[in-house]
Amino acid sequence: MQHFVLEQALNFLIQNGSVDIKPLESKVIRFSLIDSFLEVNFVCTNNRIFVTSDTNTPSDVAIKLKPNVFFALFKGEDLTDLLRQDKIQIHGDVKTAQLLVDLLTEADIDLEEMLSQYTGDIVAHEIGKKAEKFKKIAKDSSNPIEALKNGLSNLLISPKVSKRYANKNQ
Amino acid sequence: MLVMILETTQPSKLMKNTTHFGFKEVATDDKQSLVRGVFDSVASKYDLMNDVLSFGAHRLWKRYTIASSNVKTGDKVLDIAGGTGDLAIEFRKKVGESGQVILSDINAAMLGEGRKNLINKGVFGVDYVQLNAQYLPFEDNTFDCISIAFGLRNVTDKDQALSEMQRILKPGGCLLILEFSTTDSEFLKKFYDFYSFNIMPKLGGIVADDEESYQYLAESIRKHPDQETLKDMVLEAGFGFCEYHNLSGGIVALHKGIKT
Repeated sequence: MQHFVLEQALNFLIQNGSVDIKPLESKVIRFSLIDSFLEVNFVCTNNRIFVTSDTNTPSDVAIKLKPNVFFALFKGEDLTDLLRQDKIQIHGDVKTAQLLVDLLTEADIDLEEMLSQYTGDIVAHEIGKKAEKFKKIAKDSSNPIEALKNGLSNLLISPKVSKRYANKNQ
Repeated sequence: MLVMILETTQPSKLMKNTTHFGFKEVATDDKQSLVRGVFDSVASKYDLMNDVLSFGAHRLWKRYTIASSNVKTGDKVLDIAGGTGDLAIEFRKKVGESGQVILSDINAAMLGEGRKNLINKGVFGVDYVQLNAQYLPFEDNTFDCISIAFGLRNVTDKDQALSEMQRILKPGGCLLILEFSTTDSEFLKKFYDFYSFNIMPKLGGIVADDEESYQYLAESIRKHPDQETLKDMVLEAGFGFCEYHNLSGGIVALHKGIKT
């Protein structure tokens, strides 16, 4: 599910011209979170990004980091600072890694807008709020990715109808 | 535009003399006409039967397929075995006026139903081509996305069809295969087997007056490669990446291949 959401967010930004991935054309970037299940490839091709989990294929650059650093990146923390503090490992082209980090940072800003394309504004707003909550849970938790995964699962398994949506139909 | 192109090139390799048609072993040359017979028979009730048999779930599976496609404005999309055009309608919305969507099917009756369906829904600007997935009549590197939903299992030589799809996709193009697959859940498997072989053909008899075709449907699903096998086939066809996502516990899987 994380792959799907991430892929949708990034491609939405590309389509709307918010980000330009031409510099990343034909690059495969492996992104992995240490001590967690998340290891993905960002395949940048044909002016779009595919997020895949098949990590047997060669990549141009590999980025390894801890989950809490992952969220720091989403909040726009400087990559150079994180590198200096040994919080992130990069094997390969650092410039390519920086470009990807820039994309991820922008994806966070427009999360709510992105979701509204698929779910409608009201539901997107609710999910956007939930996402912020998940991030807080993840930040406070000793196992942030698991907490995030559980939160997302709860939302999908037992979605609640927004009160505003209910009122709108009356 | 309606174009009829069934075979434009010769097979790249010799096929075996026999193949499966459901649980039956038939001459390879006969399978295409047997499948055609099935779809000629069910074409007019196809949408209704999909809703009845899947309890409407096929609409969710297709919606997920569309969302996974990453198709955008200006893209060229080919929908193979597109039947009544569910995917083509959504692709048309995504590609806009500057894009192109081709709805194709080997079966003229199904393609006719698709065309009628799209016109009834006010969807214009879609091209219609009657074709065989094993011999795709397009230039190399033409499409940004190719989809085939619930069609691959009816193709006689799947490897050749996948190679053809790989050939006509642009680098970075995406292949989406939505197809019945294999569930790991023992409970679901038992329920699904009972439903497929006891309920589904009966419903086919009652609603579409064609029990036999729906018996074939159940059998053809069991003969279709499982998730991992199909993934290997996609990679073998030359795709750089292939992943699959199980839907409804693996009853259906969406394979996504990327040409690199």
